[in-house]
Amino acid sequence: MPSDSEVRRGSVLITTLKIVGVLVLAAAVLSFPSVAGNAFILSVGVVIMSYAVLATSWNFVGGFTGYMSLGHAAYSGLGAYGTGLIVIHTDINPWVALGLSGLLVAVLAVPVGIASLRVRGASFVIVSIAMVLILLLVFQSWGEVTGGSNGLRVPRPFGPEVLRPEQHERFFYLHAALLATALLVWWLIDRSRFGIGLKAVREDEDKAQALGVPTFNYKLVAFVVSAFFTALGGGLYALWFGFLDPIFQFSILVGSYMVLMSLLGGIRSLFGPLLGAVIVGYALEFFKAEYGDTQFHLVALGLLLAIVVLFMPDGIIPALTQLARRFAPQASSIREMTAADLAERRRDADADADGSSEENNGTEHHVTEGARS
Amino acid sequence: MTAPDPTPVEVETPFEVGLATEGLSKAFGGVQAVDGASVQFHHGKVNALIGPNGSGKTTFFNCVTGMIRADAGTVSYRGRSITGKAPHRIARAGIGRSFQLCRVFPRMTVLENMLTAVRPGSLPRLLASAHHRDDVERARELLARVGIEHLERAEARDISYGQQKLLELAGVLMADPETIMLDEPAGGVNPALIERIAELVRSLNAEGRTFIVVEHNMELVMSLSDHVVVFDRGRPICEGPPSVVQNDPRVLEAYLGI
Repeated sequence: MPSDSEVRRGSVLITTLKIVGVLVLAAAVLSFPSVAGNAFILSVGVVIMSYAVLATSWNFVGGFTGYMSLGHAAYSGLGAYGTGLIVIHTDINPWVALGLSGLLVAVLAVPVGIASLRVRGASFVIVSIAMVLILLLVFQSWGEVTGGSNGLRVPRPFGPEVLRPEQHERFFYLHAALLATALLVWWLIDRSRFGIGLKAVREDEDKAQALGVPTFNYKLVAFVVSAFFTALGGGLYALWFGFLDPIFQFSILVGSYMVLMSLLGGIRSLFGPLLGAVIVGYALEFFKAEYGDTQFHLVALGLLLAIVVLFMPDGIIPALTQLARRFAPQASSIREMTAADLAERRRDADADADGSSEENNGTEHHVTEGARS
Repeated sequence: MTAPDPTPVEVETPFEVGLATEGLSKAFGGVQAVDGASVQFHHGKVNALIGPNGSGKTTFFNCVTGMIRADAGTVSYRGRSITGKAPHRIARAGIGRSFQLCRVFPRMTVLENMLTAVRPGSLPRLLASAHHRDDVERARELLARVGIEHLERAEARDISYGQQKLLELAGVLMADPETIMLDEPAGGVNPALIERIAELVRSLNAEGRTFIVVEHNMELVMSLSDHVVVFDRGRPICEGPPSVVQNDPRVLEAYLGI
């Protein structure tokens, strides 16, 4: 068993590695536009960043509470159309329009969340899909406002003097900033009391309630935060891409991508959805380039998902962390503590405290218990 | 509830009423699991709830703690109605519970399991780090009390069943409830651990905590409890001190079918 100082040195090492890792990641993202080479590669970068924003936003609900929404395209789509329509019909600055659209979707997510978070498991998944399908029909049929199936052209926020590669570069950094914000908020929640309550919902909702966690309110707040960031992601994409079609905006496929990316990277990890988005986003573009307009990229993605579920059910990041942990000093392991170790520890503790004979009795029982595990 | 401060219980009553139900009923399909049960538990004592399998004890527990909604009847705690309240409100009113077959948060560490029971109290505290020094210290004290402090970094799914039982009890204590309801604390654990749990119940009771225990282990019930309520077909058929209940003909009939 490693000593306390070894453990401390181990955790300092891990913290240092984490900080270095984040800095390397940030440097890689920031330098991407300068090494991208051409406008096409840069545009693929923007698409991947957009996926990363959406998947990370999805993970506020999926990762913390375990509620698997397949219908998050509803919020990215609403954010996109909201931003587009405000820009088209008012004189509001496009960036203010984006924020406004995010807030409107967040407000709308309150009643939707109240209705849908009452049901768990498969029922919740169905309700989330229903929401997207309804919105798809509405946005397709309500032509005079949404442009219907002909789509909606969204004016670019930058003037005509900003050329294409420059556009891509600016939007790449804007997406990166939004992603960084979402990651920061996720991290803050993850370490907070609120976060531990949400994770308790994921693990065992009834048990969490019995311990006094107001699970419904917690779920609802996570859901609204998730919808807010997803809408901002959708809106930013609309300002970049400049054209919205309901069939792509309100698509089950987009919602499934968010889930697939998060599962692939690991929904319990801060950077899981980002990693998943990079892999799946790149794979999607690669397969599309290889196989053209066929649906083969979907088959390839399906295979990828099957492999992940079979061999890395927790995702890539937990699988890698586990591997790394085998080489790092162990903090404390139940398997490495023998009955003799325990008895010794207890003896030391009892020497300090004036333990009664009854307590000593219990201790021995406990030692046998510990040794068996 | 007529007055904000409930007046003390009448003098001729020999015990202080803690948790109480009046005509509590719950049916699942055609099965009347709890059938108009009116029970008063003694505050500050170790109460036992016993009865044959299927007599409605666990359903009664779940109705009282708000996990399932009763069809009829009322529940009160120390004179205040808690009928129909959400489980987390009942928990915050001072009633903690364990689950039959033991439930912990499997993919969280033992320490995180404990920290889940902390009441944030205010928005800034809700958003502050969960690993607050005072909370962690209190969690460690309670883990040490049940004897599993060396496991704090282990995931709850990796520890033994007996250790999970102890963790569940420690988690309930972390929420600092006045009344603790235990659903079969001795179920599926070895005799040494049963004795350890019994010892914990006794010492916690001596510190003023009330217990309501569903248990099948008669030896444990008789040695541990001050007041025993016997359930049969969804309602109490007899109650009293263990020595009296033990020899009651109705209890023998319910258990042995004599």
